Parts: sequence; C-alpha cells; structure tokens
Amino acid sequence: MRHLPSIDWRHGAVALAVGWLATSCTWEPRRGEPVDEKERVVTIEPRIPLLATYPCSSCHATRTPQPERHPLKEVHAVRTFDFSHGDDTFWCYQCHSIRNLDQLVTSTGALVGFDEAWKLCTSCHGDKLDDWKRGMHGLIVGEWNGPRTKLSCPSCHNPHHPRYPTIEPEKMPETIKPLTPFGAK
Amino acid sequence: MSQRPVTCTKTDCTAPSCAPDCAPSAPATGLVQLRRGGGTSRRSILQAAAGGVAAAVAAPACNTPEFEAYFQKHYKKLTDEEKVKVFARLEEKTRQKTGVRVRIGDPPPIEGVHFAYALNLSHCNGNRRCAEACARENNLPDEPEMRYIRVLELDNGSQHLERGTVYYDREKVPAPGKFYLPVQCHQCDNAPCVKACPTGATWKENDGIVVVDYDWCIGCRYCQAACPYHARRFNWVEPKIEPSRINPHQAYLSNRIRQMGVVEKCTFCLQRTRRGMYPACYEVCPTGARKFGDLSDPESEVRQIVENKRVWILKEDLGTEPRFFYFYG
Repeated sequence: MRHLPSIDWRHGAVALAVGWLATSCTWEPRRGEPVDEKERVVTIEPRIPLLATYPCSSCHATRTPQPERHPLKEVHAVRTFDFSHGDDTFWCYQCHSIRNLDQLVTSTGALVGFDEAWKLCTSCHGDKLDDWKRGMHGLIVGEWNGPRTKLSCPSCHNPHHPRYPTIEPEKMPETIKPLTPFGAK
Repeated sequence: MSQRPVTCTKTDCTAPSCAPDCAPSAPATGLVQLRRGGGTSRRSILQAAAGGVAAAVAAPACNTPEFEAYFQKHYKKLTDEEKVKVFARLEEKTRQKTGVRVRIGDPPPIEGVHFAYALNLSHCNGNRRCAEACARENNLPDEPEMRYIRVLELDNGSQHLERGTVYYDREKVPAPGKFYLPVQCHQCDNAPCVKACPTGATWKENDGIVVVDYDWCIGCRYCQAACPYHARRFNWVEPKIEPSRINPHQAYLSNRIRQMGVVEKCTFCLQRTRRGMYPACYEVCPTGARKFGDLSDPESEVRQIVENKRVWILKEDLGTEPRFFYFYG
C-alpha cells in the first residue's frame, strides 16, 4: 500500500474555508437560466418582459436625462407624486445609470441589468438578501420539491414606493358571523 | 338526505344487476323498511341487522352502493382493489348528487417527508385570500359556510387572543395599529383530536398530516372540543355546493364532497402537496407570508426558517407539538 500524505487539521480547515467561500459566492442564478441547487431547479423571475417602457434608451435617445430633482413629465409624471423611496435624498439616478439608461447602478457603482434588480436592492438592503436567498423572504412559485421560480424584489415591492400597499380583504361569510359580537373589546 | 340516490328499494328496483337477486317476495324486514323510509344511519342499520337475520342474509345479494357504504371497512384496512371500488362508488355518488364528474384519488404520503408550515406575521396583512382559496380548493360548502383558516386581528404589541376578532370588516388592510394571526389546523405531532376520537376516524399520517375518514366519522365532535386551535368544522346540515365551483381533483382523505354529520379540517391540501404542489393558501398569498415545505430537507424554506429565525408556536404550554410555526422577519 502506498504511503498517503499525512493530513493535519490545517488542511481540513483550509478545505472547509475554500468550500464555504465557493458555496457562498457562487449562488448567482442568471435570467431564465435554471440553476440546479441540490437537485432542485430554482430560477429567478425575469423582469424585463414585465416592463412596459423598456428599453429606456428608445425615448432617451432624443431626451437628455436631467440629473437634478425636477417635476417629471410625460410617462414619468406620476413619479413626482408617487415617489416615496429614501425620503428626499433619492432621485432617478440613485438607482438608474445616467450613462446607460438601460442599466441600473448599485450603491457601489456597479452596473446591473433590470433582470438583476435584486442585486441593486440588496446593495442597500443587505439584511434581506440572506433571507431571500434561503427562501425565508419573498415569493416562490412552482413545486415544493420540484422546479420553482423565485420572484425578484420588484415583483412585490414597487421600487419607487416600496412599502407593500394596503389591499381590500376578502369578506368573512355573513353566515359565519355570530348574532352577538364575539371577541369585542 | 332526500338527494341521496336510492338504487334498491326492493319493491321498485330497476337496476338490471339488482333485479334478479331482489325478488319482491323477500321478507320486508327492518332493512327493507329503512330503505323505503329513506331514513339512513349507521345506528338504524345495525338495529335492523340485529332485528332480522333474514335481512342480513338477503342484503349481500343486492350488492347496492348503499349496502357497500354501510359495511365499508376502515380506510386503513382497505386493500387496493377495495379502494378502487370505494372511490368509484364515491365518484358515482357525487355525480348523482351534483352532476359533476370528479376524480377521487388517494395519494400516499411521500417517504421521508415531514410537512411543516411557517407563517411570517410581519408580512401577513389579513387579506383573507388564503381562506377563500382554501374554500374553493377543498370544496367547502356554500351552506353551511365554513372556513378552515381564521385570521385573527390583534392589537399591535399584544397577543391576547381573546381580545382579537376574526370578524373584522374593513375597506383596506392592514388597519393601523393591528396585526393579523391566521390560524388553521396545526397538524400537531401530539394531536389532542386524534386522542379524543372514539372510533379511530382521524389519525396522523406518516408525513405529519392529520386526516379524517369522513365515512368512519360518527359526528360526536369530541375532536372539535379537544382541539385547542379551533381547527375543526362540523357539517350541521347536508352541505350544499354550487356544482360549477366543485374542484374535481379530489382525494379520499381531504377534499372530496362531505356529507352531513361529519367533521372536517385543513389537511395542508394533501391532494396537492403529496403530488409536489404547494397548498392553495400558499399559492394565493400575495404577501409571501406563508412558507411551506419538507422539514426533513435541510435546504427547504421551512427548515431554514426553523433553524435561523425565532419561531414560536401557538399555545406551546399545551404540549401539542404543532407543525405550524410563526415568526417575525
């Protein structure tokens, strides 16, 4: 039998660290490209097909973007009243790239596509990134033990006013209600 | 009861398979009289069987669906061939009663899977979509109206369940200063309802789901009294359901059409989840508050939540060991 090289604990520690780095850094499913994650296929919902006015450059080829805060016009008019993200400190080019309007820009200055909007969101909201990766935050559609699609941040949170809106609830059936109020304070 | 199809009444039996065996000269004993009267219950049929041996001898020859229903074995003792017959009979019964062709299946528990549910109370906004979707998926009757999922509205900063209400009626939710706590069957590992059942009509399956055999339930409602989560519902009258709203994809132990006098409950939509799908309440939830999966899979969402979040269970002091976890986050 051949002599095997002796393995001390440092080799194991290095291997573990490399393994941990590999697993924690390689989680990056791309648009429409299924990633086999422990025998389960997880895809992230692509965003661009849902955008009505994409690509932005189709209009902004003739309209010059203005970096200062100003009342918005045309398709953006609603944003002037509807914008409630980051108080008064944010404006369009906090997230949209002014150099390439078809791209988004993260807080560190990196350009990401609209389909990778979750990278932009989590560049500030990093606490949600881990929860979302593990499936603890956000919507997942598909099968619990089969192919599934993770919804990206903007699928639920409008990026321009991210708080989830109040919605109308389903009614409690009338016949279930008791004649005398129950649980009244 | 009047809608129940009576295929053999001895005197006016027209079924071709039944006619030769059911001679009009058969003695009009208790069983026969019961069928004529239309009053049918397990107790009365047993009384009739005790009263006249002739009836018991003559009845097997009839081989009617009614007879098979009375003498159907417990679900766990049914062989595969018997199950096929039982399901076919129930499908036919539903077709005669509602005019809808349904398919009753029997998906078995998946080996090694332990279902669990987690609910994010920070995200739930009390919109009751879950309760409605559940009602449609599980063929909950229009009369008596019932919901497996009850959403409690509670004051922020308190968990005083008795001061909450499930009957809130609001234009928009969430209301300021309130939070919402949906409650449904917790599929307890140490289920009080299973221990309370005197007939063995409810039991815990291997994947953790507590099920009810509606054909074995006698309607004593002991389980309903034993459940600390108010998760079980009772059919006080013959359940009526709009035929167009019937979900034809049914399972014997979950969403098939129930009859009067039996208890029913949430089964984590086992007709869906045992085939890989998510429960109806999960799929319809717009807020992402609901998380469902296999607790024995280290990568599943519920397992991640149980390991990494501060989960809590309702009425922990009762020792029911639920499979339903709440968390904030």
